[in-house]
Amino acid sequence: MKPITVTLTVNGQTRTITTLPNKTLLYALREDLGLTGVKDACGGEGECGACTVILDGEAVNACLVLIGQADGRSVETIEGLAQDGELHPLQCAFVETGAVQCGFCTPGAILAAKALLDRDPSPTDDAIREALSGNLCRCTGYSKMIAAVRRAAEEMSHAR
Amino acid sequence: MQEFDFYAANTLDELLRLLAQSGGRVIAGGTDVLVQAQRGVFPASVLVDASRVRELRFIGQDGETIRIGALTTYADILASPLLRETAPALVMAAATVGAPQTRARGTLGGNIANASPAGDTLPPLLTLDATVRLVKRGGERVLPLAEVLCGPRQTCLEPGEIIHSVAFRRPSQPTGAAFLKLGNRQGMAIAVVNVAVSLPLDDDGRIAGARVALGAVAPTPVRSPRAEAVLYGQSLNDDVLERAAQAVLYDIAPITDVRGSADYRRKAAVRLTARALRLAAQQIREGAQA
Ligand SMILES: Cc1cc2nc3c(=O)[nH]c(=O)nc-3n(C[C@H](O)[C@H](O)[C@H](O)COP(=O)(O)OP(=O)(O)OC[C@H]3O[C@@H](n4cnc5c(N)ncnc54)[C@H](O)[C@@H]3O)c2cc1C
Repeated sequence: MKPITVTLTVNGQTRTITTLPNKTLLYALREDLGLTGVKDACGGEGECGACTVILDGEAVNACLVLIGQADGRSVETIEGLAQDGELHPLQCAFVETGAVQCGFCTPGAILAAKALLDRDPSPTDDAIREALSGNLCRCTGYSKMIAAVRRAAEEMSHAR
Repeated sequence: MQEFDFYAANTLDELLRLLAQSGGRVIAGGTDVLVQAQRGVFPASVLVDASRVRELRFIGQDGETIRIGALTTYADILASPLLRETAPALVMAAATVGAPQTRARGTLGGNIANASPAGDTLPPLLTLDATVRLVKRGGERVLPLAEVLCGPRQTCLEPGEIIHSVAFRRPSQPTGAAFLKLGNRQGMAIAVVNVAVSLPLDDDGRIAGARVALGAVAPTPVRSPRAEAVLYGQSLNDDVLERAAQAVLYDIAPITDVRGSADYRRKAAVRLTARALRLAAQQIREGAQA
């Protein structure tokens, strides 16, 4: 395998890495860039959503993007959400609503929700359910997550 | 993850050249390729990335012909007013694919080239009599979709050849169309059976050339000529729709697999077709009132 060099924007910063081409964006973020908030639960099947990141504005499974395909693109991970030590309203709402138990699915779920709110600041419950439909949670359950997203949307609309 | 070399193409020309030179295979959204490669079963040692070839990502019309580029994602299909008007069953199918994460990456060309018997866009495209434009370095050909799909996960694509786009004619008469999918759950499920129907009506309110196509019930998605024949020239009534639905049994050959038994699939295919036909009929009636 011939290594490839890739430059991408990660949480607003330009990063260049040289790596083998059969690496996914998921493992490049975790191993080459030390961003371990992005998780692997299903082992590269696209089924669990734990590796959800925002790629050029859209929620995607980082396990199904090759690092070479991310060249020149912009990625947001959970590490990029807090600003100046202040948690993002979605992060606050997940904590306050009790939408976090083991936490393994949380980064992916929050990013899936953020991609929704970035495009639709006051979503219906159905739209929230749809946005989270690719994120498996096996301990908290979805009611609290949906409540958290609704609450974050309200907070953010007041802040505007 | 299996090993491969990787090249990225920025233009169609470059894509075709890289494929010809490397003997590699296309990766588009990667939602099939990378699942297979991580299981170690994707049959290629070179991948050529098509995901930034802008020329292949479009939805447009020229005259009465609608064209969709191979790199068009499910999210693009869902956002298209033109497709909502001219290909509602295709839009309904796109809405059922995976989750938002899958729909942001997965492409129409990938769904065709992957040639899964359960591919959700395939029955709707069959009901539109869609043709597929294939291009390679120094040549192109246009084939009906059914001729591109030659077996489970098999297409007639030659080495170095890619899917460029699909095309279909804008329905000329008032037409009801629907897509339904039976999965093991609502979200993120591959079809146990899927079905698309279209019911164009002539000036006398009779069914002109109906189309009924089903997936996951044969080695490739198939049309049901028997069901279509039952519908031909009839007026829209529940008895005709029911007889047509039962006629699909002549045209399907389901197998038993992890998602369902052959017997279950036969029963589900009939009921799902009946529902899809009633939904399409209802659409026409509502359209006529509007
Ligand atoms: C979690 C999950 C859920 C899914 N759910 C569904 C579902 O509900 N329904 C469904 O039908 N599918 C589903 N799929 C399968 C997949 O998303 C679709 O088949 C998708 O359309 C594939 O497109 P892609 O761009 O990702 O293809 P890729 O993975 O990039 O490619 C697939 C195949 O097509 C070839 N190819 C791609 N583009 C071209 C081209 N332009 N010319 C020639 N060859 C090409 C590749 O070489 C490869 O063989 C799901 C997948 C995942 C991971």
